[in-house]
Amino acid sequence: MMTSTRAITATTGDRNVSTPSAGSNRAEGRKDPWSQLLEKVGKHQDREAYRSLFEHFAPQIKYYALANGLASQAEELVQEVFVSIWRRSCLYDWRKAAASTWIFTIARNQRIDMLRKMQRSRAEMTVETEDLWQIPGDDENEPVTSLHRLMSERRIRDSLKHLPEEQITVIAKVYMENKSHQVVADELNIPLGTVKSRVRLALNKLKVILQDQNA
Amino acid sequence: MTQHHPDSHSLMEFSAGNLSDPHALCIRLHLDQCPHCRSRVDTLDSLGAIMLEDQPGAGVADDAFDRLLSRIDSEPAEPEPKHRAGDPLHRLLGEDLNALPWKRQLADVSVLDISHLFPGQPEKVVLQKLAAGGKAPAHTHRGLETTIVLQGAFTDHKGVFNQWDFVVLDEHDEHRPIALEGDDCITLSVLSAPLKLTGTFTRLLNPFIR
Repeated sequence: MMTSTRAITATTGDRNVSTPSAGSNRAEGRKDPWSQLLEKVGKHQDREAYRSLFEHFAPQIKYYALANGLASQAEELVQEVFVSIWRRSCLYDWRKAAASTWIFTIARNQRIDMLRKMQRSRAEMTVETEDLWQIPGDDENEPVTSLHRLMSERRIRDSLKHLPEEQITVIAKVYMENKSHQVVADELNIPLGTVKSRVRLALNKLKVILQDQNA
Repeated sequence: MTQHHPDSHSLMEFSAGNLSDPHALCIRLHLDQCPHCRSRVDTLDSLGAIMLEDQPGAGVADDAFDRLLSRIDSEPAEPEPKHRAGDPLHRLLGEDLNALPWKRQLADVSVLDISHLFPGQPEKVVLQKLAAGGKAPAHTHRGLETTIVLQGAFTDHKGVFNQWDFVVLDEHDEHRPIALEGDDCITLSVLSAPLKLTGTFTRLLNPFIR
């Protein structure tokens, strides 16, 4: 499950991209290479940077489509996501989200949009997908939290390695196969309460739950 | 600042993109007004991205990038507008919630079924209005009911629920909501009721009176 092999390995290599000169603060110096590439696309319509992003993220998005049962639309989803990345890249702000997170939310929204359009006619689309599923980091009023976000990403990465397999399995089904907690419970033949407690344990370890009054 | 938030399971289902349209709308409306939950969803989105990175990946077609470039070159390069005017709720229901064609059910209670705005969704979606200072009769709930306060505030034995507060009730929750003075209290409720009833006309399920 948690393998690092990929069908297509990024040809840019994580470390080939030089850190921007004169990083104005410490967080700037820790900007990850994909976020730097995405900024280049946004600021300069840099096609080589765009290609590097494509080579790295397109296989992930195709996998995501396939895991969702969008077999015949998988290539189309990749195209839609990358058109959207190109058009929106000027709005990207590395301080608010890593490139990977930003691209994940676009992939999520495009998948939802594709499914919604397949399920109903245009006339029936009374609510736009973007009205329901926002792109985080679009908010100009959001405080800049670059260090906080870099730290929480590192923590998630580190903690994920130590999660029990049964918790990873549940989270993977929720995020990759887009199954509700109830469907995951049915598939694994365990009670809904068990799914929820596995999620809760995982989120606790990942410290995603912060002052959660209701969970 | 809202006091009653969606639980982490709901936020995770939102982050993963697994919610029905009306449930997503409830969460989104709350997120728009709640930096606390927005920050949690940002973190959950990072989790989603990291999960995706850890998957094996699938090879794309050889000509995929070339097709992409030709599409970008042939379509206008205008960036998408950052925000469309107005918020989702106004686009859906118009500027003035009070001016909607409410149907009065009791002296203090009016309702409006807006399920037709979410075609193909199994849930029932209902707006309710409790007149300022008005009382709803005690009632329980059928199935799972997700509610967000759009205007005004109400109180019950569990506390005060203000604008953009989020509350989930089920069949075990009996309450007797009272609207605070000042504004009429308007809420949006999504009922995941096991409503498998056929027939063209089902009784309007009013979460305030059942």
